[in-house]
Amino acid sequence: MKYNFFFVMVSTFIGSTALAHSEKESMTPANGAVLEVVPEMIGLRFNDGMRLTKVEMTHAETHTEALDLGAQSGFVKEFSLPLTPMGPGMYHIEWRGLGVDGHPMNGVFSFEVK
Amino acid sequence: MPDIWGQAAVATKFLLYLGVLTSAGLVLCRQVFSEQLAGLDRFLRVWAVFFALLAAAMSFLGFAVRGAVLMDDASGMTDLAILALLWETPPGDALLLRLLGLGALLTGVVLGGRWLWVALLGSLLAIWSFCEIGHVASEDRLWFQSVLFGHLIVAAFWIGVLLPLHKLSGSADTLRVAAVLGHRFGQVASVAVPLLLLAGVVMTWRLVGSLPALLGTAYGLTLLAKIAVVTLLLALAAINKTRLVPALQSGEPKAGPHLARSISLEWVCIGVILLATAVFTSILTVPS
Repeated sequence: MKYNFFFVMVSTFIGSTALAHSEKESMTPANGAVLEVVPEMIGLRFNDGMRLTKVEMTHAETHTEALDLGAQSGFVKEFSLPLTPMGPGMYHIEWRGLGVDGHPMNGVFSFEVK
Repeated sequence: MPDIWGQAAVATKFLLYLGVLTSAGLVLCRQVFSEQLAGLDRFLRVWAVFFALLAAAMSFLGFAVRGAVLMDDASGMTDLAILALLWETPPGDALLLRLLGLGALLTGVVLGGRWLWVALLGSLLAIWSFCEIGHVASEDRLWFQSVLFGHLIVAAFWIGVLLPLHKLSGSADTLRVAAVLGHRFGQVASVAVPLLLLAGVVMTWRLVGSLPALLGTAYGLTLLAKIAVVTLLLALAAINKTRLVPALQSGEPKAGPHLARSISLEWVCIGVILLATAVFTSILTVPS
């Protein structure tokens, strides 16, 4: 009985967590921002060194494409990635990366273009 | 729920903990209780090899799964650029130390005899590999890594006594040896287990930082669930020490089967504890 309770408890909590460890970060455009025009670039800034391994953009929940990460070397705190303009709608960005301490990181943010 | 790669990371970590701690624990117990366990030498070495091989396999697989987590795709497991990137970070250092340790453990166990000291050194190295990675290593303080090292050594020691004690208590011919082993383990544990708990408290205080974080985050709540099962495990250990082992010593015929059943329950508790630990070291964020 105790073990069942434990598994229910753990699985409940996991539902509210990220896949991997996440860090404090700031994204540009900010999560939830509403813009007039599609930004040419998106920015990702972390409080510690990071190596991005995959960034995907999904537009209007229909079209998904991987963003060009360019030639990365070492672990850096700031990234600026070109964004393909897809017109008005929601842009959902999902990123994955490796922290300098070896932790896999991930996160998502969204913005809307009117 | 975490995605498939998150679940794979937890599963491989769980089996890795089980493999390293059990193989290392068997070697530790073989050396500490050499007199009582001399008759089980072959049994202990076979199981130590099995768990060390499990640990080695999970070391490789877990490393590859990190690649899959980074790419959100199975291709990450064999992507040489991604794996080379991982190799440059603490998971690469930990993998190297762990494989060296497991290699020494396997060599010592297979050769046996005086070589068991090599196995013991390999066990300590394999255990230390966990102190070179994660939030404890991120603190970059030797004392904090040493606290985790001590915590894991005692945990391995505890896990390592279960297989031989279960084996000895399952046969009428070896009940007296089981009684002596149980008694001696209880003596060592009465000093070692408080140290294990103290180390756990220190790490909880350092990593979680506050009561609200303990009660209000997934990390803290998973840790509390682990503590609840540890409490149950301690209760079982207390029953073994105060009732079942004395009953064995006095020659009660049913004491052996009762102790064997209690040890089976301890295995279940340890499984849940290792699973909870794999969850919060793989997919949850440290509050502080």
